[in-house]
Amino acid sequence: MTELSVSTTAAGHVPQVPLPEAPPKVTVRNLNFYYGEHHALKNINLTLGTNRVTAFIGPSGCGKSTLLRIFNRMYDLYPGQRAVGQLMLDQTNILDPKLDLNLLRARVGMVFQKPTPFPMTIYENIAFGIRLYEKISKSEMDDRVEKALRGGALWNEVKDKLNASGLSLSGGQQQRLCIARTVAVRPEVILFDEPCSALDPISTAKVEELIQELSEDYTIAIVTHNMQQAARVSDKTAFMYLGELIEFDDTNKIFTSPSDRRTQDYITGRFG
Amino acid sequence: MADMAVQSDVMEAAGPYDRAKALSAFKLGDLTFYWITRISAISVLLILGGIILSLIVGAWPAMKEYGFAFLWTQRWAPSADPPVLGALGPIYGTLITSVIAMLIAIPVGIGIAVFLTELCPQVLRRPIGIAIELLAGIPSIIYGMWGFFVLGPFLANTFQPFMIRIFEGVPVLGAVFAGPPSYLSLFNAALILAIMVLPFITAISVDVFKTVPPVLKEAAYGMGCTTWEVVRSVVIPYTRVGVIGGIMLALGRALGETMAVTFIIGNSFRISSSIFAPGTTISAAIASEFAESDGLHQSGLILLGLLLFVLTFFVLAGARLMLMRLEQKAGK
Repeated sequence: MTELSVSTTAAGHVPQVPLPEAPPKVTVRNLNFYYGEHHALKNINLTLGTNRVTAFIGPSGCGKSTLLRIFNRMYDLYPGQRAVGQLMLDQTNILDPKLDLNLLRARVGMVFQKPTPFPMTIYENIAFGIRLYEKISKSEMDDRVEKALRGGALWNEVKDKLNASGLSLSGGQQQRLCIARTVAVRPEVILFDEPCSALDPISTAKVEELIQELSEDYTIAIVTHNMQQAARVSDKTAFMYLGELIEFDDTNKIFTSPSDRRTQDYITGRFG
Repeated sequence: MADMAVQSDVMEAAGPYDRAKALSAFKLGDLTFYWITRISAISVLLILGGIILSLIVGAWPAMKEYGFAFLWTQRWAPSADPPVLGALGPIYGTLITSVIAMLIAIPVGIGIAVFLTELCPQVLRRPIGIAIELLAGIPSIIYGMWGFFVLGPFLANTFQPFMIRIFEGVPVLGAVFAGPPSYLSLFNAALILAIMVLPFITAISVDVFKTVPPVLKEAAYGMGCTTWEVVRSVVIPYTRVGVIGGIMLALGRALGETMAVTFIIGNSFRISSSIFAPGTTISAAIASEFAESDGLHQSGLILLGLLLFVLTFFVLAGARLMLMRLEQKAGK
């Protein structure tokens, strides 16, 4: 039931005619990933189109979140995890061991499954990220914070309590705060790792709408367990299974006439 | 198993009436449990109250004799007639050694904790962790002896002349480091205290740093934060209550530490501007004089003990206040 009510609010965005092929922003070639000995991703090949939304679906443990965490080298925090292959962000080799990770993560922002507001005020949550990269005056900062919060569709709800703790917001608001915080740094790519799995249907609809809007300015990758969500928000969909990329195509095609049997079984709910 | 079988038999046989009886047996157990826990909790209050009361009773003669002047009299002459007793020296010594100890131990302790949780290669983690636990296990008298035989000579012969050379003639700092070399000094005691309380700060900080959800740290790293920025802006704010708790525990220990300090502080009631001069602390003064004291002198020492009690209480209250301020600032 809840799914249905959401889809009526956001379904209008689904392009009936596929958008023209966009120039690639992120290019993945023969990418393999290992957790120690465990071979978690096998020969992945795909591209994220500039200013397009790419959804990653598949049963739990298929490696979609793992793939997402390679795009900003988050796996680097943990010893024993390594990626082999080619992964380009425009002309930058993301897997280059000498790459400045802080700079990479400024270009590739991430929103997590659970809202992760920092233990500071709402204003500071946004300003914190901006300050990492820019030295700007108080009034400029106020502007940037307002813009980011408007970008996160949160401004009207929090403009009177910018000095309240980020933790005092509701779950959905917290998630939009995290999106605003990510946008404030002005990345090129935004990664969403199941951004709505902890949210109620209304918040989910708001976040989905937001993702649609953001795709005008950013390249977006979203991991989701919710297939309607993938259908609603994405231009392209990648179906992954057991560490392999089974099918990667226009979202419409994946959900109406998938070419692989396993994709069809998954989207019709026969497994997963 | 047997119990259950019996119970179900009874229930089947006699219906609801017996069920009520069974429940009332539980109720009795519950009530006993309630009272045992309650008495345990109340006993803490009784013991605390009893200690305060006996301190006040013991200190009463000295309080009557010296009044509030006790707090700001420096002279300590128990063998004069009548004895002249003032607590300014021990209070000063207690505060100054604890403050210096905390100034050293807080950054070093938190630094170690950050290294251990965020930066340390896995292989080094256990050895360093164990070393810190061992540091906490060393008896305080050993620290005292080490301070007396090793640290004292080093400070007097090497460190102090070095500091004097640098700061000679500088208005305030010159006086802080001046004076004849002495193995027994406030600074020596403060250093030993710093080493002694370090494990408290580190162990508690490590524990609370581990409670930071990985995803929160990932979110900060994901914005391009360096490790330093993650620690300063996410890890420490998130865990500040725990960290401050650890610091307060350490401060409580520093204020009250007796044995090691008595060994190396020199037991001088005179206040000197130099941190390399001998001094005394409240607990050191009590420990070194209590055995041969009587009458008003003994009462004065008990009053010193009461002061330490009050001092510790104010420190804890101050810590609470600080936490409340911090929470307000964070917008709660």
